[in-house]
Amino acid sequence: MRSLAIRLTDLYRSLRPWLAVLGARRGRLWLGAALMLATLVSALGLLSLSGWFITATAVAALSVPVFFDVFAPGSGVRAFAVARTASRYLERLYNHDTVLRLLADLRGGVFARLVRLDARTLSRARAAQWLNRLTADIDTLDNLYLRLLAPPLVALVAILGFALFAMLFLPAAGWLLLALLLPLWLALTLGCALWGWRASHRRVDRQEALRVRAVEQVEGLAELTAYAALETHLDHWRAEEQGLIADQRQLGQRTAAANALTTLVIQLAAVGVLGLGLAALSSGVLSGAVMVMLTLGTLAVAEGLGGLPMAFTQLGATQRAAERLNAQTALTPEQEGESLQSGGAAPSLAYRDVGLRQGPRWVLRGIDLALAPGQIVGVIGASGSGKSTLAQLAVRAFDPDVGELRFDDHVVAELAPDSLRARIGYLTQRSELFHDTLAANLRMGDPTASDAQLWAVLEQVDLYDWAEALPQGLQTWVGEQGRQLSGGQARRVALARVMLRNSPLVILDEPLSGLDAATAQVVRAALSRWLAGRTALLLAHESAALPGCDSSWRLVSDAGGATLQKI
Amino acid sequence: MSRGSRSGARSRPRNPSRAWLEAQATAIRPWHRRALGCGLIVAVATLVQMGGLAWIVAHAVIAGQGIAELWPVLLVVGLALVLRAAAQWGQEVSGQACGLTVKREVRAQLLAKLHALGPVRLASRHSAGIASQLVDQVESLEGYYARFRPQVMLALLVPLLYLVVVLWLNWLAAIWLLIAAPLIPLFMALIGMGAQRLNEAQFRAVTRLSGHFLDRVRGITTLQLFGLGERATAEVSDVAHDYRRRSMRTLRVAFLSSAVLEFFAAVSVAVVAIYIGLGLLGYIDYGPAGELDLFSGLFILLLAPEFFQPLRTLSQHYHDRASALGAAEGLMALLDEPVPVPATDSASAQAPSGAMTAAVELEAVELSHVGRQRVLGPLSLRVESGEVVALVGPSGSGKSSLLQLIAGFVAADRGRVAVTPGPAIAWLDQRPLIIQGTLAENLRLVAPTASDAALRSALEEAGLGAWLRAAKGGLDTPLGERGVGLSGGEGQRLALARVFLSPARLVLLDEPTAALDPETERAVVTALQRLAATGRTLLVATHHPALMAMADRVLALDGGRLVSAPGTLWQEVPIS
Repeated sequence: MRSLAIRLTDLYRSLRPWLAVLGARRGRLWLGAALMLATLVSALGLLSLSGWFITATAVAALSVPVFFDVFAPGSGVRAFAVARTASRYLERLYNHDTVLRLLADLRGGVFARLVRLDARTLSRARAAQWLNRLTADIDTLDNLYLRLLAPPLVALVAILGFALFAMLFLPAAGWLLLALLLPLWLALTLGCALWGWRASHRRVDRQEALRVRAVEQVEGLAELTAYAALETHLDHWRAEEQGLIADQRQLGQRTAAANALTTLVIQLAAVGVLGLGLAALSSGVLSGAVMVMLTLGTLAVAEGLGGLPMAFTQLGATQRAAERLNAQTALTPEQEGESLQSGGAAPSLAYRDVGLRQGPRWVLRGIDLALAPGQIVGVIGASGSGKSTLAQLAVRAFDPDVGELRFDDHVVAELAPDSLRARIGYLTQRSELFHDTLAANLRMGDPTASDAQLWAVLEQVDLYDWAEALPQGLQTWVGEQGRQLSGGQARRVALARVMLRNSPLVILDEPLSGLDAATAQVVRAALSRWLAGRTALLLAHESAALPGCDSSWRLVSDAGGATLQKI
Repeated sequence: MSRGSRSGARSRPRNPSRAWLEAQATAIRPWHRRALGCGLIVAVATLVQMGGLAWIVAHAVIAGQGIAELWPVLLVVGLALVLRAAAQWGQEVSGQACGLTVKREVRAQLLAKLHALGPVRLASRHSAGIASQLVDQVESLEGYYARFRPQVMLALLVPLLYLVVVLWLNWLAAIWLLIAAPLIPLFMALIGMGAQRLNEAQFRAVTRLSGHFLDRVRGITTLQLFGLGERATAEVSDVAHDYRRRSMRTLRVAFLSSAVLEFFAAVSVAVVAIYIGLGLLGYIDYGPAGELDLFSGLFILLLAPEFFQPLRTLSQHYHDRASALGAAEGLMALLDEPVPVPATDSASAQAPSGAMTAAVELEAVELSHVGRQRVLGPLSLRVESGEVVALVGPSGSGKSSLLQLIAGFVAADRGRVAVTPGPAIAWLDQRPLIIQGTLAENLRLVAPTASDAALRSALEEAGLGAWLRAAKGGLDTPLGERGVGLSGGEGQRLALARVFLSPARLVLLDEPTAALDPETERAVVTALQRLAATGRTLLVATHHPALMAMADRVLALDGGRLVSAPGTLWQEVPIS
């Protein structure tokens, strides 16, 4: 009982934000449920009226010739037949459209929240996990209305309605229906939910783990193949797959059992109503036609209960998906601030006694660094010493724990990140290219750049000849994460993208990494020309890997965090 | 195959996706039969139950019998419906076993295919797209084997059974049912064809959708830096709405097929009910209407919906078929992709030349990528066992391609590649593989039986000793996709630790120091020297002077060819 209470609380807490999203379209949802009810009532009506009609005619035929109106019930039967088809078609179409509308909105909304997260939060989760949240988790939520809210509600209304209807003719039959069908309804909703909870809850995570393994197989195939380590990795894969299949088998068996229970209880109820009817018939309380009508109507109630076992054994999965989406949306960043005028001359950038902690460990401590307008400053440091962190502070990927940064005379922590970043061209340590064309990747730097401008910037990074020799030129797809390019080519495309941005403040993190000596010479010379008149912070592991700087510093790490030393 | 059937196949080609789906079903025959058997038991039990109900009503209403006389029939009805529920359970469970088995086998096939294709051919594909094929598309095969396929046979057999009974009771009523029944498969076939085409389109959309998402999510930091967050969000939203429109197009058709069926079923039940009613009243003189009594009338009425039920169930499962066919098309495209003939002629043992044995020998090898110019060759190369060779050259000169060729990831278009057979080849490139799991699991990939001490010493030699001592979890520290908790340099060194741990004699390194600082780099170079001293053969693509200096031989590549004769010493280009 306690676990039931806990699960229900959990469930409500996880689903509350999504129920609120549903609430925004309340009108559509009620109309959808009404259509569902209309479908069920037509099915009920069709079978019970037909049963009544046949029995009544048989009785009428036996008795002395009397007038029997065949037209009213006949057209009633036909009307129910047509209504059932029409309402069912409309209901399914309308409700699915509603749900997909909600899902499309949700996806955009979730991505919008992701885009606003800061670098620290983002680095906590893995890429495939985000993807799964965006697609599978949101998809799992479509269960919420179409399978978990409307159908049980409609089924309950139908059970109560039909039992009351039966009571009008034979109270005992009505009570019997309530006594059998209400517990059945509870078993199919609450019972199934609890019964399938653990396996379906786990299934979501297992399916995701399998996806991650698949991505590993593809992305790590080179290493796995060369080392003949495929079998070892396949063992990991098989372990996840076995677990997933075991869960699915258990859920399937339980759903099947619940379906069988539905059949059994509904049919028993029909037999029970018939038995009560027979007793009432012999005592003259009930007509034969009504007895048959109630029996057949009971059978038709099954139609409203059919979808419940499948939906409710999977409730755990819905809850898990909601829970994970919630965990992600809870990480709302607090990054707001005044916005900065765009454009303008080369700004100054200053670090004033900046310190940054990662958990208990100091990454940077007592950093004082001033870049005058138009000055080019180099920072040299070993990998992992905090160079990239220095750059990330400047674009407000996160704020320092101690001290402050100043962009001209603004405190960076008080600036809106977007307006700040609009004035900074930042080449990150990893060349992040998108699965798109070469032109599209370059135009991220300047969406309005002409082809001529793209060619000009390619010339600067010594990629002109290469791009010109490509059969598809600028329209060549660069592959996932730029994999169709060599490491050095990807680096230069990323650099070209930053150059197109034409910002007054430039931060370049290892701009020449992965380039051979000859190419590095060419690009270094081009960079030196291009950097003239801009404020620049250049980061590398050795000064040879940078264009000429006005001043250079070394980032030295020790136990208390990295500090700067003038070279 | 006979001539006739071949010409028939030409005019109306058998759907290859369907043939493929059928081919997967050979292993599940016993479970499939069990599902069918249970389905038939359900039908017979239903027949008994409905007959019993009609009997009871007829005898109670017309003959005035009470529960005292009718209880044995009531008992039979009760037993029949227990049997019915049990068989229904059996059918569902057996069907599910079919689905689970097929999924597992198709996944195994797909993985084998990915391995056969090799890393270079997969490089142009979206790993998220492939992951979605392996997990989600295969998932959508289940319904076809679990529900649709058994139901196809049942939808044929069960109505036939009921029809025989109705025919025996009243042939005219049977004809009412028969008129509606054949129209149903016709309509369904027409609608199903359209639904399948739409489903295929939808599957492509889903694959593109997940690829698009992963790509944008991966690059989210870059999107933020370039101020493209809002544009990308709008794009994601557009793609999602496009997905909705596609889905609705599919659903509209899919629902129409079941609506047509429902319509015919409902109208038939109504017509039968009215016919029986009028027949009982004696308004119809034609045919056997006069012989109708309450028992036969009610029995027919109860059977009429049951007659259509298997077809309705089939139509509810029709989308299972459509999504399976849609998935099959994508899966077949992957499974049918031609696998290159293995280029590495590892079987041909090399005659020893002098005291040394050639670890690698290439003869007039040429290589080109699809849609690109030639990337390599003609090129001949001989690397002796235990030799350390550095490959240098501008980026794009073919260094990586040469290593891929030796590793056997790509097949040469011309020429001969021979590699001395060994247990494995050690490989390290710029994107080290970090699997989800502990540090130890990551290392044991290449040496499953290695002891903890061996893991520690490998980490030590790769320059991760200090990191390991600082890590709270030690060897059990969990690592994630793309190495959360590891910097670029640390990830690289983890991959290097694998090299030390592996029993491989041939080591291929693609820019192993690209992300390392001078200090770590010095440590790595020392470690690589230790590695070479163990007699391993090293081929290193690099720009780095320290690594070139370490090599016995430096080979320069340009435009896919060796520009300095093998054996010449490399003139070190000063970096600044």
